[in-house]
Amino acid sequence: MPEFSPTQYAVPLFVIAVLAEMIWARLKRPEAYEPKDTLVSLAFGLGSTVAGALFGGFALYVFIEAYEYRVFDFGDEWWAVWWAWPVCFVLDDLKYYWVHRAGHRIRWMWASHVNHHSSQHYNLSTALRQSWTGAFTFGFLFAIPLVLLGFHPAMIAICGGFNLVYQFWIHTEAIGRMPRWFEAVMNTPSHHRVHHATNPRYLDRNYAGVFIVWDKLFGTFEPERDDEPIRYGIVRQLGSFNLLWAVFHEWIGMIGDIARAPWRHKLSYLLREPGWSHDGSRETSDMIRERWRARTGQAGPAAGSVANGNPIAEPREAA
Amino acid sequence: MDIPPLLLQTLGSLLAILVLAGLAVLLKLGGAPSLASGEDVRRAAAEAVDGFEAIECAASRDGTAALARDAEGRIMLIKRHGNRFAGRILTGRARARRHGEALEIDCGERLYGTVVLVLDDPASWQARIDAMG
Repeated sequence: MPEFSPTQYAVPLFVIAVLAEMIWARLKRPEAYEPKDTLVSLAFGLGSTVAGALFGGFALYVFIEAYEYRVFDFGDEWWAVWWAWPVCFVLDDLKYYWVHRAGHRIRWMWASHVNHHSSQHYNLSTALRQSWTGAFTFGFLFAIPLVLLGFHPAMIAICGGFNLVYQFWIHTEAIGRMPRWFEAVMNTPSHHRVHHATNPRYLDRNYAGVFIVWDKLFGTFEPERDDEPIRYGIVRQLGSFNLLWAVFHEWIGMIGDIARAPWRHKLSYLLREPGWSHDGSRETSDMIRERWRARTGQAGPAAGSVANGNPIAEPREAA
Repeated sequence: MDIPPLLLQTLGSLLAILVLAGLAVLLKLGGAPSLASGEDVRRAAAEAVDGFEAIECAASRDGTAALARDAEGRIMLIKRHGNRFAGRILTGRARARRHGEALEIDCGERLYGTVVLVLDDPASWQARIDAMG
């Protein structure tokens, strides 16, 4: 079994690219960086690799067990089946779309993924602001269908690594738009800026990893507009550079909400979308967008759009 | 002495992090935006909570923080956070203490921190915040 981690090899490139973007910022946009924010983002990155090494074993164990039940067998030299690699990469990116979408639409998942969105800046250091607590969600289960299809866990991990490396460069304001054909198919800085925005128009949009076509296919695509400056971060900005608070704040909030909620609502605080409350005292991203639409007279989503079609967000109680 | 690869990688990454963060300081990245005018405060308030339309504003004289009130009577505390702003709509948990022209506000959220504003009319803002409790 080949042992290869694309992200490990990419670390020196990450450092050089961040350095280059800092020099760009010095010349063009000094406000694009904030030293304390950068320090927190980079510490997130370091912590996430340590957390992955400490807690990633369980997911690996589940994958190896599931692999025993694979439908197709690529043989002992599965890594030599060349066409399996691009197929795995594309399917893994499809998986990424859904796990990412779940990361925004299910609070349990959001408690972990919010880490990546907690900066009010959008630069290459933000890309390294990775979660420490992903192992405590069920995100890894989204990869089980690939394992059962017969893709070896190591192949999936390598494809996922390349996916992550690809996503690094799109976390920048230094690049405006890519060529039109590229923007049409691939995730780009422009598309991903939308994803990191807190503007109501952009909330919970553009979940893609590598191929933006998934968002277009599943109704969650929103193009970046030149007439609307983007505000980055989360709806309720942290207002703190405390690293541990940034890592755990949503877990603490969610567990507190579950503890305080009436029994029949407890599960909803775990499984429904961020911002949901049983007494309507808070706002979800859909509610914020609808209020913004009502206030500004913006058109609603096209008929038949599945953008908000998260089954867990149906207007019924999960508990 | 054998150093475990993970430890070596972690230490190397830590060093790179400190170097990059230090470079951000050396390159004078960041800046310190100011809430100098009512328009600045209104814009920051609307960005902190979408749809918040301030009808009354008071910016601290140093431009690092402000208070804004909307037509519903909600009061938002805004503070500079790095080179951005972060706001909180105050609730009954908020506490305000006056020291001369300085108004010290605790929004009730420990990690957001206590914010000190130097205002022309701290007493009226304090009274309104106290009335929420």
